[in-house]
Amino acid sequence: MIFLLQKTLIFTIPLLIVALAGMYAERSGIINIALDGIMIFGAFVGALIAFVLRKTPFFVDNNQLTFIIAMVVAALAGALFSLLLSFSAIKLKADQTIGGTALNMLAPAIALFVIKIFFSKDQLEMGRAADSSGKMQDFGYVILNDDVGDVGKIFFDKAYISTFIAFALFIILSIFIYKTKTGLRLRSCGEHPQAAASVGIDVNKMRYLGTTISGALAGLGGYIYIATVANGTASGAVAGMGFLALAIMIFGNWKPLGIILGAFLFGFLKCLGVIYSQFDFLKNLNLPMYFYNLIPYIAVLIVLMFTSKRSRAPKAEGIPYDKGMR
Amino acid sequence: MKKILSIVLSIAIAIGALTLLASCGEAEKKTPEIAVVTDVGQLMDKGFNQGTYEGAKAYAEANNIGYKYYQPANGSDATDNDRIDAMKQAITNGAKIIVAPGFLQAKAMETVAKENPDVKFVFVDGWALGLDNVTAIVYKEQESGYLAGYAAVMEGYTKLGFTGGGGGTNPAVNRYGFGFLQGAEAAAAEKGVKVEVKYSFKYGETFSASNELQTQISAWYADGTEVVFACGGSMFQSVLSAAGEYEGAKIIGVDVDQSVESSKVITSAVKGLKVSVEKVLGQFYDGKWDAELANVAQNLGAADNATGLPTETWSLTNFTVDQYNALFEQIKSGAVVPVAEVPEDVTAGWNNLTVTIEE
Repeated sequence: MIFLLQKTLIFTIPLLIVALAGMYAERSGIINIALDGIMIFGAFVGALIAFVLRKTPFFVDNNQLTFIIAMVVAALAGALFSLLLSFSAIKLKADQTIGGTALNMLAPAIALFVIKIFFSKDQLEMGRAADSSGKMQDFGYVILNDDVGDVGKIFFDKAYISTFIAFALFIILSIFIYKTKTGLRLRSCGEHPQAAASVGIDVNKMRYLGTTISGALAGLGGYIYIATVANGTASGAVAGMGFLALAIMIFGNWKPLGIILGAFLFGFLKCLGVIYSQFDFLKNLNLPMYFYNLIPYIAVLIVLMFTSKRSRAPKAEGIPYDKGMR
Repeated sequence: MKKILSIVLSIAIAIGALTLLASCGEAEKKTPEIAVVTDVGQLMDKGFNQGTYEGAKAYAEANNIGYKYYQPANGSDATDNDRIDAMKQAITNGAKIIVAPGFLQAKAMETVAKENPDVKFVFVDGWALGLDNVTAIVYKEQESGYLAGYAAVMEGYTKLGFTGGGGGTNPAVNRYGFGFLQGAEAAAAEKGVKVEVKYSFKYGETFSASNELQTQISAWYADGTEVVFACGGSMFQSVLSAAGEYEGAKIIGVDVDQSVESSKVITSAVKGLKVSVEKVLGQFYDGKWDAELANVAQNLGAADNATGLPTETWSLTNFTVDQYNALFEQIKSGAVVPVAEVPEDVTAGWNNLTVTIEE
């Protein structure tokens, strides 16, 4: 049971952070369907940086520092990559869904192209490297800490600093969008940009801000995903986590509290689907494994079915801002 | 704007031209007579493809022959058509002999081999196709698996795991797995201990790493499993990541010596891909194809030094190299014969093993 909770927590983090990314973009009025692509791109760049840094023993000794640097770089890469979307959506007033889809196709192509050219394989491992004493160290950012009691174990054993960073970010950004002037302005651009403009808010600037924060978070989420749950390898795919995050964002009604609930629910079901055989009463049902693997996805469908009536998307999302329109 | 665009474009063209020149410089070398067409899981998979390629490379470089590898399009989802394209491409580039690892290549190889009777094909992990320009190499993986299982239990581990690729349909992986169980059983009987084995083909149908596989394996380690036999190319990555979360977690590698990948790898169940590919290429270039290789399926095992555990990087302490060599000799001489045919139900018929299948 402790194991299940540990895993749920780790699995939830990338979903949480990427769903928040989606929220930031959509609240500013830009549909960011490219979350998946940005995750892939962030994961790839982060893995590349970690791979390069780990050639230097200093960064192998200071594992957590490497992790933080790689996360920062992944976030920057995500932000830069998302500029493609915001440029096409804001400056060129292009259809946002198509722009996002283009990014989703571009990201794995770039990642795989580079990995295949330079490494002759289909995934980039952050791999083993020598520390300053010349001893080879396996890749891994995990912090082991057995000595903290059962409840403590859930949070501090086999933990990653990314979990705490992500929670901190989540809280800060949730406060930011609700309690600050800029946050309020950003939200108004997603509801009624013309009204916002009439009181002197620069709609385009706000939308660039929202999409860029969104890109940074998605890039960060992508790297956290591969570093903690997906084998420590960048492979040009994130198993559709970006789209799941999108669904979680809708489930959460574009609100932080709903998002955190959805992320935990989905993370829990996903983990349960993989390790159900650890629980005797589930194992004794003798259902095929595919049934359990399906649960999280079916659950999302069902939950969306019941909640979509109440769902309140930002009114102006997806509509290119046109000053003349009222 | 236009100016910037034209500058960018001309730079791009210049770079393109440079790289073209560079690649021309390389292409002046020999025609790639030896071609390797990879199986699913890419060239540098640290296992099956890489071992095969290294054999071809070693022979080609020693004898100053051109060589080249081809990776069928679509990676792990490559279809027969992708493989056929890759093989035809190899032939267009001047290949005289094509080495193709992986039993999935049967259909493609049959098609291309029939169309090109002058080109020779080496079917690694395959079988004779009834064509005179095809030779097959098969390994007795059960022997390597046996040795690995035996070594793990003799070392003192009693909770083992096996995760295999191909979803239970890959004969080589199945032989590894069944051999592993037999070896563990033999050692458990000898030591008088009870051994538990978790046995799974659940994730890794395409021999690739996934978050599901990593989660499943870390659940095993959390449940007390000490050693996991990671039997399938890139799946190793998932097992490695899972093992990283547990201090004492150990791994057994597959196909080639994987101890270079991690200190958690206690040993690897290897097969002599490199050696046997080199040998076959040697026979081909010595003009012995028709006499020794045409339409033949070689079944290589301990007697040919094609199966076993790597002794150069030995890390086990309770089970020594001498003990290993003694057992290896017994397999070589036929005193111990691991069974190759995998029964329907691998959980039944053990005296000292409890095998639980995860599916």
